[in-house]
Amino acid sequence: MFQTQSKWTRRDYIRAGSLGFFGLHCGLHAAPAKAKSCILIWLEGGPAQMDTFDPKTNSNFRPIATNVAGIQVSELLPQLAKRMDKLALVRSMSSFGDDHPQAVHYAATGHLHNPAMQFPSLGAIVGKELGSKNAMPPYAIVPKWESGRQYEEYFRSAFLGADYDPMLIPDPSKGKFEVADMGLPKSVTPAAIDSRQAFRQVIEREYRARVESAEHAKLDTFQKKALEMLLTPSVRDAFDLSKETDRTRDSYGRDSVGQSLLLARRLVEAGTRFVTAAGYHGSSWDTHTDNDRLHRDRLTPPLDRGLSALIDDLVARGLYDETMIVVMGEFGRTPHINAGLGRDHWPKCWSLALGGGGLRTGITVGKSDERAANVVERKTSIGDLFATVYKAMGINWTAEYMTPIGRPIKIANSFEDTTGEPIRELFAG
Amino acid sequence: MRFAFFFTGIALAAVPELVSVRIVPAEAALIGKGSSQQFAVIGKLRDGTETDVTGDSAFTVSAPNVATFRENGRVFAAADGAARVQATVAGKAASAKIDVRRSTEAKPFSFARDIAEIFTRRGCTAAQCHGGVKGQAGLKLSDNAIHPKEDYRWIVEGGIFQVLTSESGGPKIPRIDNAKPEQSLLLRKASMETPHGGGKRFAKDSDDYQAILNWVRAGAPYGEAAAADAARVVKLETFPREVVGPPARKQRILVTAHFSDGHTEDYTHRVSYSAADSEIARVTASGELETQKPGETAVLVKAAGRSLRVGVGVIGPAVANYPKTVSKNFIDDEVFAKLRRFNIVPSGLTTDAEFIRRVCLDITGRIPPPARVAEFLADKDPRKRAKLIDTLLESPEYVDYWTFRISDIFRVAIFPVGINPKWTQDYSEWIRGAIERDRPYSEVASERIAAQGYSPASRHYLPYLVIPPAENMMGEQVRIFMGRRLDCAQCHDHPYEGWTQNQFWGLTAFFGPMFKLGGNPDSVIFDFPEGKEVAADVPVPTPLGVFHPRTKEKVQPALLDGTVYPFEKTEFPRRELAKWITSHPYFAEAAVNRIWSGFFGRGFVNPVDDFRSTNPPSHPELLAKLGGEFARGGYRFKNIIRLIANSRAYQLSASPEPSNAADKINFSHAWPRALDAEILLDAIADVTGVRERFSVGTNRGEWRGGKAPLGTRAVELKESDIYATAFFDAYGKPNRYSVPERDVSPKLAQALHLLAGTTYNNTLWADGSRARKLVARGASTGEIISEFYTAAFSRAPSKDESAALEKMIAAAPNREQSIQDMVWAIISSREFAENH
Repeated sequence: MFQTQSKWTRRDYIRAGSLGFFGLHCGLHAAPAKAKSCILIWLEGGPAQMDTFDPKTNSNFRPIATNVAGIQVSELLPQLAKRMDKLALVRSMSSFGDDHPQAVHYAATGHLHNPAMQFPSLGAIVGKELGSKNAMPPYAIVPKWESGRQYEEYFRSAFLGADYDPMLIPDPSKGKFEVADMGLPKSVTPAAIDSRQAFRQVIEREYRARVESAEHAKLDTFQKKALEMLLTPSVRDAFDLSKETDRTRDSYGRDSVGQSLLLARRLVEAGTRFVTAAGYHGSSWDTHTDNDRLHRDRLTPPLDRGLSALIDDLVARGLYDETMIVVMGEFGRTPHINAGLGRDHWPKCWSLALGGGGLRTGITVGKSDERAANVVERKTSIGDLFATVYKAMGINWTAEYMTPIGRPIKIANSFEDTTGEPIRELFAG
Repeated sequence: MRFAFFFTGIALAAVPELVSVRIVPAEAALIGKGSSQQFAVIGKLRDGTETDVTGDSAFTVSAPNVATFRENGRVFAAADGAARVQATVAGKAASAKIDVRRSTEAKPFSFARDIAEIFTRRGCTAAQCHGGVKGQAGLKLSDNAIHPKEDYRWIVEGGIFQVLTSESGGPKIPRIDNAKPEQSLLLRKASMETPHGGGKRFAKDSDDYQAILNWVRAGAPYGEAAAADAARVVKLETFPREVVGPPARKQRILVTAHFSDGHTEDYTHRVSYSAADSEIARVTASGELETQKPGETAVLVKAAGRSLRVGVGVIGPAVANYPKTVSKNFIDDEVFAKLRRFNIVPSGLTTDAEFIRRVCLDITGRIPPPARVAEFLADKDPRKRAKLIDTLLESPEYVDYWTFRISDIFRVAIFPVGINPKWTQDYSEWIRGAIERDRPYSEVASERIAAQGYSPASRHYLPYLVIPPAENMMGEQVRIFMGRRLDCAQCHDHPYEGWTQNQFWGLTAFFGPMFKLGGNPDSVIFDFPEGKEVAADVPVPTPLGVFHPRTKEKVQPALLDGTVYPFEKTEFPRRELAKWITSHPYFAEAAVNRIWSGFFGRGFVNPVDDFRSTNPPSHPELLAKLGGEFARGGYRFKNIIRLIANSRAYQLSASPEPSNAADKINFSHAWPRALDAEILLDAIADVTGVRERFSVGTNRGEWRGGKAPLGTRAVELKESDIYATAFFDAYGKPNRYSVPERDVSPKLAQALHLLAGTTYNNTLWADGSRARKLVARGASTGEIISEFYTAAFSRAPSKDESAALEKMIAAAPNREQSIQDMVWAIISSREFAENH
């Protein structure tokens, strides 16, 4: 259906890198990639850069010092300020899409929305390039969208195929959290499974012999795999938050943001490659009215708490170096406050945070002007961000996929059809 | 003899035993200095088939001073005069007449013909090279040299093509060097004197190198406009038009170019050849084709902005005693004729049980209830199949099912911020009304395309309460109603198809004046009259209209054929567009292709809305006939459905024959296809007797507490997008936020749901379930098995099946549990989950 245009596989690149193969793209994989998985903390709606990672005088909140000399963040992020050495801030993001659907599509895929085409999302590409591990689904979104499901479409695999579509997980902070189809009902005992399979063998015998098709063989393989997943305790356990202590659950926050981050950690620990932790569904950060109150009371506290807990947890488990985290929304917010005391959409200059995965942290990249309205230094694209994720994970970021209709698509698509460049400051040495 | 025939292919050295030979073309005119003609020699074998023996032939000319053979089968003009050329092979001979004229007269120079064509032939203009959308490494050449004037400019003046503006970017570095012609970048790169990403395209001692060098030396002219005009190729033609033969057979392709001044020329050695699927056939740069293994593909022939496909069918071994086929209507004539040609035997007719299940699923989206099956099986009327089709077409289930089908394509949905349920209801009922009354599809399409004001179809233009970009609206209508995806041409001329960016924006401009008035969600849309005021308090919207992304100029609405509809004179441009779309043959063909695919699991063209020259239909004549029939019958679905369902081709069994097992595209046997998510969910409910209760989520994600009425079927859901179920996701129900494409292929999520999901576990023994009722009324195990079989498979269990299942249930420690396990096995079986 599609092919990677580059004749080089990821493995070739890594091998070439370690052997110092002659003639390769300069600086490609100077050091082996450390990240094995990635968690995207999705701030749907678009946070105000000046009220979070890029404090400015046009914010009504004070900047505060962090544990890295010379770097300040908004006073709304006091816990993260104490962990700044574990994060890198990019303050010069610039993207497209004046409204949510277009901007979410752009942020999720790196491409402008085009009704004729479907583009694979970052998570699907990572899942496809790195493949499944320990029978875990390679890509998951938690929580899934209860409404606004056209965004869901943007986070899918498009022509890469259903294997790389995200597994959609309900909100783990809800009382009756249960992942559909990931655990056998009590009535389905091993004996019942055997009995059912035995019945099906008899019932299907004649039909299968008569119309044997490739699709059947494929489904059989899936059924074997499904049974393996259902019967593998580690897979089932990955989705089971009751395995965590109350203390840990509390530290992340018992809200949708915190519990999704906790589940994300369990999933990557078990082998999932990419998790979009999306506790802020419903465009929560879309503060057209009452920006300050919402940022202060509703939006930043779960982020500050949950993300801090995630960082501490990953560090404590020795997983931070192999787990990359990306914290972003689909755009930033206007430098001015509108009549409703809100801030509107602002794609041309915004901020995001990165960490883990062996990246250099405790630094900032790029600069915005005094109102965080324009990029003044080191304009960075979504394609650059994607290239950074790929590089950290050992994926060839210059690859292109061929769509079923024969249009090549860059997996790291930057401005004006150029290929994104990994953010070099984040790669030490 | 059959073996000898194949032997030829494998051991190419041996010349087969020929009955006769002929030479193609039978006569040729060689006009102008340096002209040539390629011949092909065709031998007839004992079995009546033909094979190319050009490579094995010896060629002579009756008057060697007039012309000489310099390559195999290719004669070059020397002096004016007439002569005969003769080909001899295996003791058989054939001759052709040649006429050499103006042999000392060089043709007037034309850049398009003499230079630009080299780039196509040498692969430079391929889409992955300089013919790509943005060119390659700073040099842009038009695909297949379709814009020679622009190519000339990039080469002679330099500069870099930019997608979004007509200004050239980058430094202007000419690719030629007038002072030192040999140093021209164009030549140094192509001959690899300077490193070239595209490798060596031709050697320094090649004719093409010399031609370009001479051109630069002559001052790199474009050539006389008049000469260029006379030399314009208007059509390419090939011999043969299609190649059908066994594997390992060679065939030389001859190409003739027809010019605007009426003359023709041999273009065999001036075109580029590429095989779409080289596993089925390969082709050399000079047009020698060799078939590989059974299947169908095409060779694309390109030159001078023209392209042509030569269909290639590689057939399986001849079938002894090929059975006689009986046609019920013209569908069968076409389908069976092609099968005969490809040595594929169609499967036998379905049994009545197979037929009733299939036709009920395809016309009404339901497995027939056991009573209907029993009645049909008992009916002795030889016309009972036709009668059943008529009954189904007049049933309310037909209306439900086709409303669902069209609602999918027409995208009936509630958007998170957008269409109000009231309006969705209107839109949905409009579709239902059209299906109920079998309204002409052309009328329905026109209403959707040209929708104004509050008309029900107008709502699809306001998914997010704003009018979407004009190009998106145009792209969707053309994709749905003409089966074409023009969208690539939005940003650039289509890299493989003939669509230009100008055509794209011309069509888009029909949507330019669209305007929305009034508050949400009750706003109206209409075409804003150009240069007029609508009402005192309605400001004239600016900018109104569509602007070309490269030239930034306002674009006039124009059809693909170039007909312009000036703004000032066209009050309702979309109405004009709707007229054109619905009367175009593409419209009928796209519609019948879609309908057909619903009955066979695939269209003549797949995906059903991706017609393009590089994705040709499997049965072009049948597609055209069905399209014609659709138009003649007033664009009514039922007319076409009746024809299809009554054809024998549709009623063929799913059990393959040895010769047709590998065939996927010729409708030689029914291809088992997975039921669509909604249909499968309804079928499970029909069998288990337990229907899913659809819960409604609001667009804010809150629980409204409301539920769809008890007994609602999945196909009846109006806004199925807001009913989230794991089942729909796993079985590929598309959302309707963009033109839906269903993916029914097996998925891991299906397997997980089968084992652990609610649909397959909670329905088995629920209150009111079929199993529970049967057990409660004391039905015997045999009765239970039989009833489930009829409900699920529309057939009785075989004796073996019945006996085996009864034994298993009898041996089980718990009868009720065992019956549930059997029901699970039935609804999770492929025989149940597929239409076959």
